[in-house]
Amino acid sequence: MPDARILVVDDDADSLEIVRTYLESRGYQVATAADGKEALAMLEEARPDLVLLDVMMPGIDGWEVARTIKDHPEFSDTRVVMLTARSDFTDKQRGLRAGADDYIVKPMRLEDLGRKVERNLEAARRSA
Amino acid sequence: MKVLARVRDAAVQRALADAAALLDAEVLYADPEARDLAAEASAASADVVFVELREGEDVARHREDARAFGIGLVVACHSREECADAAAGEADEWVLLPAAADRLALRLAVAAERARAAPTPRGENGAAELIRYHEALHDAATGLPSLPILIPSIENWLEADHELTLRYLHFVWFARIERTYGAERLDEVIGTAADAVRDFFAREQTGEHVLTLDHAGDEDFILIARTPPHRERAADAAALSHRIERLVRERIAEKHGPEFAPLAGLYIGTAPITRDPKIRVERLVYRAVREAARAALNVEEWERERKAERLRAMLREGAVRIVYHPIVVTETEEIYGYEALGRGEYPGLRSPEVLFQIAQEANLVWELGRLLRRKAVDEIRDRLEPDQFLFLNVDPHDFEDPTFRDMTPETMGITDPSHVVFEITERVAITDYPRFREHLAAFRALGFRFAVDDAGSGYAGLGSIANLAPDYIKLDISLISDIDSNFLKQNLVETMVNFAEGQGARVVAEGVERPEEFETIRELGVHLAQGFLFQRPDTVGAAA
Repeated sequence: MPDARILVVDDDADSLEIVRTYLESRGYQVATAADGKEALAMLEEARPDLVLLDVMMPGIDGWEVARTIKDHPEFSDTRVVMLTARSDFTDKQRGLRAGADDYIVKPMRLEDLGRKVERNLEAARRSA
Repeated sequence: MKVLARVRDAAVQRALADAAALLDAEVLYADPEARDLAAEASAASADVVFVELREGEDVARHREDARAFGIGLVVACHSREECADAAAGEADEWVLLPAAADRLALRLAVAAERARAAPTPRGENGAAELIRYHEALHDAATGLPSLPILIPSIENWLEADHELTLRYLHFVWFARIERTYGAERLDEVIGTAADAVRDFFAREQTGEHVLTLDHAGDEDFILIARTPPHRERAADAAALSHRIERLVRERIAEKHGPEFAPLAGLYIGTAPITRDPKIRVERLVYRAVREAARAALNVEEWERERKAERLRAMLREGAVRIVYHPIVVTETEEIYGYEALGRGEYPGLRSPEVLFQIAQEANLVWELGRLLRRKAVDEIRDRLEPDQFLFLNVDPHDFEDPTFRDMTPETMGITDPSHVVFEITERVAITDYPRFREHLAAFRALGFRFAVDDAGSGYAGLGSIANLAPDYIKLDISLISDIDSNFLKQNLVETMVNFAEGQGARVVAEGVERPEEFETIRELGVHLAQGFLFQRPDTVGAAA
C-alpha cells in the first residue's frame, strides 16, 4: 500500500534514518519523531496509518505511547508496531496490554520490517 | 505538580513526602537559609511553596512574592498563634503540625488551585501546566472534578444555606470486570456509571448539586446537594440505592453489553454538612464524607445479610441451573466436550460472579461448589458420549473443603475420571503454588485431568504455566478477540501451541466469536475452541 503514512519513533538518530530511507524507497510517506512526547504531539498533523515505535526511549516509553494512541478516540485505528530488543513471552504480553498490533525484534532485518509493515497496512485496509 | 519546600523538621518532611505521593507531586527542597522562595520556585517551575517559618519571619512578604510569581503559599505552623499569623498574612493555606498526609495534600492542592485561579501572568509553560493541573484535579475516567476544587463553592453554599446534604455512593465492582476485561474497560464502565448517577440526580434533585469522586476510594462518588438533610433509615437508603443502581445497570447494559450490568452494586450513605464558623470547611466536608461512607457501609452490611439469607434458601432448595458451553475440535468442528457453568435461579443471584461473591461473603462457597458439581455431573451423565469430556470449574476455596479433598470418582458418580477436567484459573494456580501442586497430584492419582484457565490474561508467564504441567491450556478471551488482525496475538498463541505440544498438552481458545478468529486459530494449530460462534451457552437439552 504505497502512499500510506508511517510515523517512525526512535531516540537513536542513525536507526531512525536507516528506517526512514528504507521505507521511503518503498514508496511510503514517512514522518519521524525522536521521542514519545514528540510522537504524540505529531499525531494530529501526521495522521499516520501506522506507527513504528521503539520500546526503550527516554521519558514516555514506547508502551505508554502505544497505549495513548490506542486509547485515543481519534487515533485508535492506527496500527502500532513495536520495535523491541527483547522478544520473550512477558515482553509480548506487555505489548498486548499496551494494545500493540505487531512487533519487530531489534536488531531488525529490513525485509522483515518491510513485510510486517505491509501485512499491518493490509490488515488495517481489510478491517476498514 | 511540584512543591518547593523549606522545612527543618524531619517528621514534617516525611508527611510532605507522603502528601506528595498522594498528589503524584514532586518535592524540591530549598536551602534552609533561602529567602526568596517564590523566585526559586518559579525558576524550578514549582506550583507551591511550602514553608516552615523562621523566628521573626514575615508571612506577608512570602505571600507578596508568591503572588507576584503566581505561586501558591502554604505555611507550616507549630502553634495556633502561628496559624493566626499565617491567616493575617493572607497565606493561601496553612496547616497546624503535626499534620496527616491527606490533610497536607489537600492544602497543597487547594493552594496551587488558588494561585492558578488568581489573575497572574504565568510563564510560557502556563498552558501546558494548566492542562496537567486540570488532569490532576479531574478524574481521567469520569471527568469529574476532585473534592479540593469544589471547596470554595461548598463554602459559598454553606454561607447561604447553613446546611447541605452529602451523599456517599459506594460502588462495588465485582473484580471480574477488571480481571477479565482489563483496567481500561473498568474505567470506561465507571465512566458510564458516573454519567448515569449524574443524570439521575439531575432529574430527581431540585436545586443545585455537584458530583465528585472520593479521594480515597476512586470508584466511589460523593454528591453534595443544596437540600436540607433528613435522617434516613437503612431501608430508605437501600431503596434509593436500588433506584440508582437500576439506572446505572441499564446504562451499562446499553453501552457495554448486558453481561456487565449485574457486576455493579451500589450502596448510599448520607450525612449533613452543617456550617460552623470555627471549623474550616475542608474539615466539615471530610468529616461528613467519613460519616456518610460509614452509613453506606451499614447499608451494604444490611443488604449483604439479606442476600446471604436468600442464597441459603436457594441452596436448601437446590435452585441452581447448569449451562453447558460446547468445546469443539478445530479441525473437525466435532464436539469434544462441555464446560459446565452454574447459575442461580433466584433473581439477583443469576450472574455466576455475583453468586460466588455472595457465597464467599456468606461463607457458603463449599456448599455452593458441592451443589453445582453434583448437578453438573448428574444432568449430563446420560447425554455425554463416551469419548466426550466434561470440564468443571474449581474455585480456590474448594481445595480447603474437606469433602472436596475426599472426593473420588465414586462419590461424584463418575465412571471415567479421565474424561473429567478440572479448570483452575492461572491466577490461583500460581499464587499458592506448593499447596496447589499437592492437591493436583492427589487428583491426578485418582485419574482426573486438569486445565489452566484464563491463560495469557497477564498474571502468569509461560514458565509458571509450564511448571504446572496441565493437560489443557485454556487461552484467555483477551488473546483471541480480533486475533485475525493482530499479529502480536497470533505470535503469542503460536508460542503457546508450540509449548503445549512439547508438553503433551492441548490448547483451547476461549471466546471465539467470529469466523475469521476461528480460521486464524485453526491455522495457528490451536486444538480446541469454545465461544459464541459455535453455540450460545445453553442447557444440555438444547445442546444434545
